[in-house]
Amino acid sequence: MRGVRPVVEVVRLGLVSYPEALRLQQVYVDRHRSGAAHALLLCQHPPVYTTGLRHAPYPAALLDRLRLLGAAVHRTNRGGLITFHGPGQLVCYPVLHLAGFKKSVRWYVCELEKTIVSVCSRFGIEASTSPHTGVWVGDNKICAIGIHCGRYITSHGLALNCNTDMSWFGHIVPCGIEGKGVTSLSAELQRDVSVEETIPHLLDAFGERFDCRLTDAQTETDSRGSSA
Amino acid sequence: MAACGQFRSLSSNFFTVLPLLTRSVPLSPLRLASKPYFGRTLATSSRLTAALKFTDKHEWIRVEDDGIGTVGISKFAQEALGDVVYCGLPEVGTQLAQQDEFGALESVKAASELYSPLTGEVVEVNTLLADNPGLVNKSCYKDGWLMKMTIGNPKELDALMDEAAYERYIRSIED
Repeated sequence: MRGVRPVVEVVRLGLVSYPEALRLQQVYVDRHRSGAAHALLLCQHPPVYTTGLRHAPYPAALLDRLRLLGAAVHRTNRGGLITFHGPGQLVCYPVLHLAGFKKSVRWYVCELEKTIVSVCSRFGIEASTSPHTGVWVGDNKICAIGIHCGRYITSHGLALNCNTDMSWFGHIVPCGIEGKGVTSLSAELQRDVSVEETIPHLLDAFGERFDCRLTDAQTETDSRGSSA
Repeated sequence: MAACGQFRSLSSNFFTVLPLLTRSVPLSPLRLASKPYFGRTLATSSRLTAALKFTDKHEWIRVEDDGIGTVGISKFAQEALGDVVYCGLPEVGTQLAQQDEFGALESVKAASELYSPLTGEVVEVNTLLADNPGLVNKSCYKDGWLMKMTIGNPKELDALMDEAAYERYIRSIED
């Protein structure tokens, strides 16, 4: 007889700064210590460039140049290289305990990719994966992925371009991959696709792919129909 | 840099072509002569100090004759990670308590933390991994070792799994 599907609490943070989102992720990571309490944080960030565990390619001088553009800059301990987060981009941080799913980071990242491919397909966009982690429409990346895993607890996550101002990506080699571009749901469909419109599709696809039950956290914004 | 590259290719040839001459290989020549080698099991040496012990986080430690422990991750772990593209390892001299985070491996855009199997001090890290992180996948028990450490509290070894217990542990996870 199959086990009960894991429950994942959806937490809609709205527009939050990157450091604030890191702080909140840590709260949910710590929460796992007192029993499985998976969470899915949804948010948008003010413009910010972030780098990962491999920070050697990004010296302080380069990061300072990015700050002059008016963006924040953060070094992190996630996997993946440099990327951009900003308004119009749906950022999703699943804080899961992989013991409740499958204890394989490779499996987890693959399932995240498949979730986004499914979201794109619901919009009529044919997306795909490649040896470069992330989700692509042709040669253009529509969703970046960068994860951290400690004691099977995941943090960081994915960033799906909905109606992001793509010009911010022009100042970096996104994820360190030369010769490829970036795209968004809006760019692919030639109409405005907002983060709000995308969220229900992401939650549906995530629930299906990870075979879990999503619940909404009771927050103040929920009562008015939250926007992330 | 060129000298390092030459050294690297020299030492990896040495390991793959002449395995029986290297002390770090757990197979004992006596055992090889007397018994057929059965695929999946790691052959353990008759010298107890060269046997691998495993943690529940899939790290292994092998105590060498000089009392230094070599640390790496298991085949199960490297398969679950995917192709390793970067190894974040500690500085030599770092003091670690058992289960302290000592570094991270990056694969498929995921950084996975590494935890110290024992209490001790880092005496060496595998510098070959800087240019060749894939060794962790290709040769997780040999050339892909991560670090070497002193054994501050030998009793901690008793709590780790031997190879047979670890194989059982993996089977229980996979179910």
